[in-house]
Amino acid sequence: MGTVWGWVSDRWEVVVLAVLAVAPLVIPALGGALGGQVTTLFIYCILALGLNVMVGYTGLLHLGIAAFFGIGAYVLAILTVPTFPFQIGWLAAAAVSIAVTAGIGLALGAPTLRLRGDYLAIVTLGFGEVAKVTLRNLEQVTGGMKGLNPVPPPGAGVTVAGTDLGLAFAVDPRWFYYLTLASLAGVVWAMRRLENSRLGRAWVAVREDELAASAMGISATRVKLSAFAMSSAVAALAGCLYAASLSTTADPNAYDFNRSILVLCAVILGGLGSIPGTLLGVAILVGFDTVLAPWADSLIQQLNINPSGSSLLSFSGWRLAIFGIALVLVMRYRPEGLIPSRRLAAELHGDQR
Amino acid sequence: MKRDRPASATDIPLLDIDRMSMRFGGLIAVSDLDLDVPEGNIVSLIGPNGAGKTTAFNCVSGIYSPTSGSVRFEGHRLTQSFGPGVFWTALAIGLVVGLFTAAAAVDVDRLWLAVVKRGMAIDEPFTLETVRRRLRGYFRAELAIDQMAGKWRVVSADGRDVLAIRRDLADARSLRNQLQAAVTARRAGPGTIPDATDMAGAASPSQPQALISDDLLDRLAAGKARVRFRGWAGLLAGGLLGAAGTIAIWRRGRRSPHVVARAGISRTFQNIRLFSNMTVLENVLVGLDRAIPGGALAMLFRTPANRRGEEEARARAVEALQFVGLAEAANRIAGQLPYGDQRRLEIARALATGARLILLDEPAAGMNPTETTELAQLIRSIRDRGVTVLLIEHHMNMVMRISDRVAVLDHGVKIADGTPADVKRNRRVIEAYLGGEA
Repeated sequence: MGTVWGWVSDRWEVVVLAVLAVAPLVIPALGGALGGQVTTLFIYCILALGLNVMVGYTGLLHLGIAAFFGIGAYVLAILTVPTFPFQIGWLAAAAVSIAVTAGIGLALGAPTLRLRGDYLAIVTLGFGEVAKVTLRNLEQVTGGMKGLNPVPPPGAGVTVAGTDLGLAFAVDPRWFYYLTLASLAGVVWAMRRLENSRLGRAWVAVREDELAASAMGISATRVKLSAFAMSSAVAALAGCLYAASLSTTADPNAYDFNRSILVLCAVILGGLGSIPGTLLGVAILVGFDTVLAPWADSLIQQLNINPSGSSLLSFSGWRLAIFGIALVLVMRYRPEGLIPSRRLAAELHGDQR
Repeated sequence: MKRDRPASATDIPLLDIDRMSMRFGGLIAVSDLDLDVPEGNIVSLIGPNGAGKTTAFNCVSGIYSPTSGSVRFEGHRLTQSFGPGVFWTALAIGLVVGLFTAAAAVDVDRLWLAVVKRGMAIDEPFTLETVRRRLRGYFRAELAIDQMAGKWRVVSADGRDVLAIRRDLADARSLRNQLQAAVTARRAGPGTIPDATDMAGAASPSQPQALISDDLLDRLAAGKARVRFRGWAGLLAGGLLGAAGTIAIWRRGRRSPHVVARAGISRTFQNIRLFSNMTVLENVLVGLDRAIPGGALAMLFRTPANRRGEEEARARAVEALQFVGLAEAANRIAGQLPYGDQRRLEIARALATGARLILLDEPAAGMNPTETTELAQLIRSIRDRGVTVLLIEHHMNMVMRISDRVAVLDHGVKIADGTPADVKRNRRVIEAYLGGEA
C-alpha cells in the first residue's frame, strides 16, 4: 500500500495526465462547451507555470505576465492571419512567437536586473500597461480594439488521411483539448527537468541569497535573465494556444492587469515554486471562474430559484466575494500554499535553527 | 578572465594585495593595505572590531571594488577583459534597439501599412525584394496603389494623401506611373529627361498633372526629409543606447563576485549566508555549478555529457560533505542544521567550487571550545588538500596555533605582519588590543 502511494506521489503527473487523456472518451460533455472551458484551464496552467519560474523559483515579483501572454498571441496572429502576407504554419509561427517573446523578456530584464521585490513589481506592472496600450494603438499592425482575426486553427492546410487537420480542429473541441494537454504535459516535463538541474538550483540560489550565489561563481545576471526569458517563452506558448483556440487574439484588454493578478494569485495560492501547487491553484481559481460559476448559474436558472434575474441571487454576482474570502482564508491558514514546495514550507513554518 | 599563464609557485604569491584602499565617503575603512598570501599557507588577518578586516575580504572577493590599489591572484587582476564577444554583443543589441527605435520614430503604423499590408491589396508577392522596394518607396515618399471599398486609389506611400480614385486596377496603375514620372522629373530638377520606366503609360492623353497640386508635387519630390531624418536619428539614438547599455551592464559585472569566484577564490561569510531552504547537498551543488557542462537545452534533454557532469558533481558534493563531516545530513534542509554545522556546510560549499584560495570570515564565531578545536583541525586539513587559507578570526588561541603567518589590522592600517610568535610580541599589536599608554 505504502509503496503504491509512494509511486503515485512520485509520478503524480503521469497519473493526472493519463486521467485527463482518457477523460474525453468517458465524459462526452468534453466534446462540447465544457471541452473549451477545460482547454482554457490548461492554457492558464501553462501561463502559471511560466510565471512560476520567475516568482516561484527566482523570487522576482512579476506583475506583467499577461503582457507576454498577449505578445505571444499577437505575434502568432501576425504570422498566420490572412490579412497579412506571411501566413506560415501554426508550429513555425508558434516557434517564432516564443523566440520573439523571449527576446522581449530579455529586453525588459536587462535594464531591470538590479531591481528586486516591489521595485521590479512596479516595472513589470508598467510594462504590462505599456504593452496593452501599444497593442491597442498600433492599429495597422494589431487591428486595434478589433484584434487580429481569424487566426487559422493549427494544422490548417495540412491533410492527414484525407481530412484537413485545420477543419478537424475547427469542428471538434477535443482536438484543442489534446493539443493543449500535450503542451501542458511538455511544459510540466520541462519544468521538472529544469527544477532538478544546474539552472533550477541556480534560480533558487539567487532567490535565497544573491550575494552568496555570486560568491559561488554563479552569474546572477545570467541566471535572472534566463528566468525572464524562460518565463516569457512559456507565457508566449500559452498565448499561441489561446489565440489559436479562440481563433482571434481578442481585444488587447484581454491581456490586462487583472489577468496577471489572477495568474499570480493562482501561483501563490497553490504554492510558490511548486509545480503541482501551481496547477492546483489554477484549477481552483480559474476553474472556479470559467467552469464552476457558469455551471452554478445554469443550475440556478434550471431550478428557477431566481425568476426575477436579480444579480444578488446569481452565483456570478458573488463570484469575486467568494474568491476573495477563499484567498484570505488560505493565506491565513496555509501561507505557503496548498501544495507547498519542500523549500518554502521550511521557510514559513519557522522551525529553522 | 585572465588566467592564461600558470603561476610559477615560488616567486609570485598566490594572492598579492598591493596598496589597496577602500573608502566610503569620508571614512577610510582600509588604507594602503599590503598583504601577500603565499600558496599553501594559512594566513590570518586579525585586529580589533571595526579594523577593516571584513572590508578587506569584500574587496578581495569582488563585493566591493577597492578605491585604489590592486588585488592580484596568481599574478593577474581579477577583471573580465573587453573581448570581441562583448564588442559584437553590444553591436548586435545596439542594432536591434536602433531598428526598433527607428520604426517607432518614423511611425510604425504607416511603415507597416506601406511595407506589409499594401502589397496584399494589389496582389504583390511578399519577398525580400518587394519589401526592400516598398521600404525605399516609403522613405522617398513615392506613390502607391491602395484598395479601399473595392476601388483603387493612388496614394502617397504613407497613405496620407489620396490623389485619385479609379474603378479599374490597370487604370490606377497607369495613372500612378504618370504621376510618379512627374514627381521624379520634379525631383531630378528642370530640364532632366525622366527615366524610361517612369514614363510607362505617359502617352495617355489625360492631364495627370492636374490631379496633383504644385505644392504636393514639390513635397513629394523633396521626399520625406523629416521622416528620413527621424529614421536615421532613431537608429542612431537607439543604437547608441543599446550598445552603451550593454557595455554598462558588462562593466558592472566586470569585477563582480562571480568573476572572482570563477578565478579560484571562494569565501564564507561572517553572518552565515547559506541557501537556507535548499538541502545540504543542493547547497554544495550550487558551489559546483560550473563543473556541470551544458546550457538550458542540454539540461532539458539530459544530454549524456550533462548527465555525467551532474553525477560527478553529486559525487564531489558528497565527498566535500564527508570532508567536513556532514555526509549524514546531506538531505536535510540547510537552515535547520545546528549553528556549527551551518558553518561547516558553508566551508564545504566554498571548497566545492574548486577554489585554490579560500577566505574564511570568522568561522569560529559562536562555537564552543570543542567545536573550535575541531574547526582548527578542519582548517589544517583544508590546507593539506592544497588549498590556501586566508582567515579572519578572533579566537587568538586558534589563530596562533594554526597560522603560518598573521597580519594585524587596526583602523584600516596594517600594523604588524609576521609569524604568530613575532606578532604576539609586537608592541603596537598589544597596544591596539589593550589600549596604548595613557
